[in-house]
Amino acid sequence: MSLHRRRLAVVLSLALLVLSVAAAGCSQGAANQGTGTGGNSAPSTPQIAFYGATNDTMVFWDPSDSYSNEIIAMNNIYERLLQYDPATNQFTGVLAKEWQTSPDALTWTFTLREGVKFHSGNEMTAEAVKSSIERTMKRGNGAAFIWEAVKSIETDGKYKVIFHLSHPSPLDLVAASGYAAFIFDPTVAQKNGEDWFSKGNEAGTGAYMLESWQQGGDLVLKQFPDYWQGWSGKHFSKVVYKTVPEAATKRQMLEAGQLDFVEMLPFEQVEALKSSPNVTITTTPSFQNLMAFFNTQKKPLDNVKVRQALSYAFPYNVVVNDVMKNYAQQSRGPIPKGLWGHDDHLPQYTYDLDKAKQLLNDAGYPQGGFTLTMTYASGDENERRMAELYKAELAKLGITLELKGMPWEAQWDQGKATKPQDRQDIFVMYWWPDYANPYSFLYSLFHTEDKVLFNLGYYSNPQYDQLIDKANGLAATDRQQAIQLYGQAQELLLQDAPALFMYDQEYVRAMRSNFKGYTDNPAYPNVVFFYNTYRE
Amino acid sequence: MWAYTLRRIALGIVVLLGLTLVTFLIARVVPSDPAARWMGPRATAEQIGAARVKLGLDKPLYVQYLRYMADMARGDLGTSIRTHQPVRKDLAAMLPATVELVVVGMVLAVLVGIPLGVLSAMFRDSPMDHLGRVVSVTSVSLPTFWLAMILQLVFFKSLGILPLADRVDSIIKLTYPLRPGTGFYLLDSLLQGNWPFFHSTLAHLMLPAVTLAAYPAGLVARMIRSSMLEVYQEDYIRLGRAFGFSESLITFRYALRNALAPALTVIALTFAYSLGSTFLVEAVFNWPGMGKYAADAVTTADYPAIMGVTIFIAALYVALNILVDIAQAVLDPRVQLS
Repeated sequence: MSLHRRRLAVVLSLALLVLSVAAAGCSQGAANQGTGTGGNSAPSTPQIAFYGATNDTMVFWDPSDSYSNEIIAMNNIYERLLQYDPATNQFTGVLAKEWQTSPDALTWTFTLREGVKFHSGNEMTAEAVKSSIERTMKRGNGAAFIWEAVKSIETDGKYKVIFHLSHPSPLDLVAASGYAAFIFDPTVAQKNGEDWFSKGNEAGTGAYMLESWQQGGDLVLKQFPDYWQGWSGKHFSKVVYKTVPEAATKRQMLEAGQLDFVEMLPFEQVEALKSSPNVTITTTPSFQNLMAFFNTQKKPLDNVKVRQALSYAFPYNVVVNDVMKNYAQQSRGPIPKGLWGHDDHLPQYTYDLDKAKQLLNDAGYPQGGFTLTMTYASGDENERRMAELYKAELAKLGITLELKGMPWEAQWDQGKATKPQDRQDIFVMYWWPDYANPYSFLYSLFHTEDKVLFNLGYYSNPQYDQLIDKANGLAATDRQQAIQLYGQAQELLLQDAPALFMYDQEYVRAMRSNFKGYTDNPAYPNVVFFYNTYRE
Repeated sequence: MWAYTLRRIALGIVVLLGLTLVTFLIARVVPSDPAARWMGPRATAEQIGAARVKLGLDKPLYVQYLRYMADMARGDLGTSIRTHQPVRKDLAAMLPATVELVVVGMVLAVLVGIPLGVLSAMFRDSPMDHLGRVVSVTSVSLPTFWLAMILQLVFFKSLGILPLADRVDSIIKLTYPLRPGTGFYLLDSLLQGNWPFFHSTLAHLMLPAVTLAAYPAGLVARMIRSSMLEVYQEDYIRLGRAFGFSESLITFRYALRNALAPALTVIALTFAYSLGSTFLVEAVFNWPGMGKYAADAVTTADYPAIMGVTIFIAALYVALNILVDIAQAVLDPRVQLS
């Protein structure tokens, strides 16, 4: 090797070495600043809370249209007249300090809190409340239908709003809804154009107001100085919503203190986090359950005995234990545990192949011998695993189950197909209520429909329809009586078995152990009311 | 040369027009209802119908296409079905993040790949060459996703010297905010003299950039090595040595320059390719860039976003190809532009 070549080799090698050392060196200082942001920040830095979301935080910006993931932030920017706590079945006044209904539940009067300001600086008045709700109803987007009973809204002075209904309806539950019940400053939309909100603006009364937002990046909220509850006590000065789709990254960020709260993690990541000393895991029954609707208009599922047999053939415990890792429990009827109307005394189908065989025999299918198609949402691993297990069980009865994982739109389109023979036999779907009302489950999923929407078992039973409609009217005035009627209606459902009630899901939250003040309220799924939280 | 360039640009525009048509048709024939997507999972038929009219989806497909093209000519790429924001605004927010990452990744790839290739060629069949081979073959064959996680494990979790994810530290971002600028954090913070921000950005860039650089670095090293070995056999190199030219003169002035041409093509094409394919790197490092945006657009059949991303990357491909051809002519006098 010549001297020149050797010298050149040394120079090139050195260049590579210098490059790597420089890279590591210049990053080290910054890395020290970069890690451990959450808990280890310098005393001068403001108290900032970090929420780790799986999906993009903001989809709809318009408080009238909001019907998606953005409710996790919207509930800190906007407020409603009332707040509902399913654990105690109690309402708390938020923007309304008092409310009452007429004995016939057709007139609801809300007296507003005085001196509440919007982020725009204007005062929250009866006129603003009336305009907000009217705008939401007029736009008719998202969950606006929850106000369907409202005939007219009038104001009485500056702080009194009166709702006139066309039929009795629990307006307290509606006014406390997580969707479509936000009160906003309507004058800003009037002044800046109808799509002002959609462009990424807000005008709420909430504790936090928008500081900055970038598509795909962080949403940053800051304290609203004029918030009506004031800022004494421990509160975060800012809230940052970070979208972290990759579960492993999210878990590591939580462990490193870069996130305070994570709304959803795959079960294996939750198990791995359990040994982490700085992380707390909490579980709460959610209002979400998984159901499979039997096509009650198509052979052989038009036979109630076949549907009952299929209900006995589902491996409930195996699915809850092995697929859901016990972060779920077998459903007892369509109303999930935790939501009023849920009845702990209702009978439950259990896994019993002998009974299933007997019922099939009675129905005239002693050897099974038929094929059913079951559609479910593709990409949902839990649904897929559940479906495979069910398929294996039905095979033991001589029933072939064909599984079709499909995108939601395609699955739903097939379910709504005009010709009944083009529809699936079994339709798997999650349901959660638009607001904390069991009527959402019982009406949307099982009430007779002229045009198919969500009654995807095509069930129709006039006696059932009558029971739940009556109960909904009573929900406003006599909730105990309503619960009783809902119980009777659910018994009918279990008898007719238009659906398989698989499991009620639990919310599994992972958060830093020093993140305090959080309570999971399933009426507002995935929402952290940051005003109540602080870092210890 | 000017005539050649103009002709290539004209051809490029024809290619892009054809591409818009093909992409539009493919994105629209897949079984999905953009109006239903727009309204969310529980929309009623009436709401979906209203959205269909609002989005112009009730018109025949050719009308929709012509309308799209007319809007595009005005710089309007439509509104994303998924994010409900103008696609142009979305791209403007995502693009700098990805471009910054890819540029730094490519610079790293070149800085590592070229010396590695040169060293391997100079010391053919020596331990240096073997080492170079092991490094480059390994870096080409490691799955991106796996490499990214291993780097996180080593440099974040075990050594604690590099950050885990994100473009910049969240606290730094809030305490030393950057004024609006180009969107390239490194450049903006440098121009604004915002050193904490610059430092943090650089640190956050390291792991994703190294992950992204692994493949092209190995590729460039192997290409440089083989081209240089070929060039070393040429008569003019032997002649140079016979004349007693210094080894560095021979290597850099004659051998490397001739060996660079094929590597340049690879680098340019990998650059354009990386812009749309950084999804895995962006996912693991939570990088708010175009790769993730493109992947989300595909999985949700968000056709305006798919169109926007495709047109942008295709335009870049075309532009880079033209530039590479011109650069080749500059590097290699044998290449004639005609």
